[in-house]
Amino acid sequence: MTEPSGGSTDKPRRPVVVPAVALVAIAALGITALLGGLSEATEEPEALGPGAVLDQGLYDTKIVASRVTVEKAESQFDKDKRFVELIFDVTNKGDATMAVGAPVAKPEQAPSRTAFAASLIKITPAFSQEAGPFSFARVKGGESRQLQPGVPNQVVVRYELQPSEQPPEKISFDMSSFVEEEQFLNRIPTWQMDSTEAGDKVLPVIKARVTLPVEKGEAQ
Amino acid sequence: MTATDPRPSGAPSPRRSRRAARRRGSGSRLLGVAAGLLLLSAAVGVQAIRLTPEELSAPLTYVGAKGDTVDAKRFTVRLNSFTAAKAIKMHTKTVSTDNLFLIVDASAKSSLKPYHLGQPVLLTADGRRFDATDRVDQSATLATKWIQPDIWAGGRFFFEVPASVLPEARVIFRLPPELLVEQYPPEVEVDLGLTEEGARKLAATPQDVYSTVEK
Repeated sequence: MTEPSGGSTDKPRRPVVVPAVALVAIAALGITALLGGLSEATEEPEALGPGAVLDQGLYDTKIVASRVTVEKAESQFDKDKRFVELIFDVTNKGDATMAVGAPVAKPEQAPSRTAFAASLIKITPAFSQEAGPFSFARVKGGESRQLQPGVPNQVVVRYELQPSEQPPEKISFDMSSFVEEEQFLNRIPTWQMDSTEAGDKVLPVIKARVTLPVEKGEAQ
Repeated sequence: MTATDPRPSGAPSPRRSRRAARRRGSGSRLLGVAAGLLLLSAAVGVQAIRLTPEELSAPLTYVGAKGDTVDAKRFTVRLNSFTAAKAIKMHTKTVSTDNLFLIVDASAKSSLKPYHLGQPVLLTADGRRFDATDRVDQSATLATKWIQPDIWAGGRFFFEVPASVLPEARVIFRLPPELLVEQYPPEVEVDLGLTEEGARKLAATPQDVYSTVEK
């Protein structure tokens, strides 16, 4: 490489290739280090709207829409109730029945959960405590709190509106996803919410940021 | 292994008599090698049957077929019959489905003290686990009845499943989950004995409405 081994010329050649390669390697290493190393770059969450599909690992989710619905009074002493609903088509891709669950109040409460609705984080605008959220799977006129494996379901997360309250123009929230990881205690692969440590808290990894215009909807 | 270690062949052997002795013992040496290999493969075999983490934390399953009295030591379960329906009528409401309601009629007794059974699970041929449906009130199921020693208590459990999971499906009965996780809890697994043909027949002729209201 460096010197021709054969007939010697009068002038000894300088070794060029080895230092050049070394220089290139060091430069590459330096650039990599400057750019933040070889660890996977944090993915920017996707911005999604109505009709978008999101693979959440454990769930295949279609974000259908957000709309205002009215539930007719069942008796004359009852009043009509109005709700702002978030509607999803969810298929549980796991092996076992999962819960529909409910969105949690604070993001740091989410990572310990595997229920579908726990993956809806920071729903804004915030609704009052009494308003909800109520969440369930809508099955042929009835309600269920279960997501059976491999069975598509319509999941509704909703907040009740006060009689005079105007529904918001749009609702936005973040969505996290789930990964199957071995448990520390018994090394059995179990679904868990994809999360990272941030300071002394464990926060869910945000996969998508969703904004849905609220369809006012005709009174049903 | 050390007993069968071959000497380096290149090593000089000073005594002829020893070499002769070794030649005479070649049969036993072969035997030694065979025994070594046998032990080695046995060791590998034992490693292979070591329990996986899944198996280590799995419950103790007592298996039976429809109509069998399956004794899980703490409790005994017999799956009497099952049927399919498109809707289930309860006291206050009727629920219907696009899939199928599978209604399982079972009897149970305990051995020493009273228990409640938990809601059962339907285990499909491809390993999916369907919890009993929550659309039928818990109060209509066998789970609310006390299972007493030597007194058979009968009742039903309700699943809501697609018809496609019925072939080779099994029902797993167990005690309700407890706060303190127990190692090797007992469970009873009953094969419904549904072939492809039987499952198709069951799914094709469901009852329109199954009533849980006791007559």
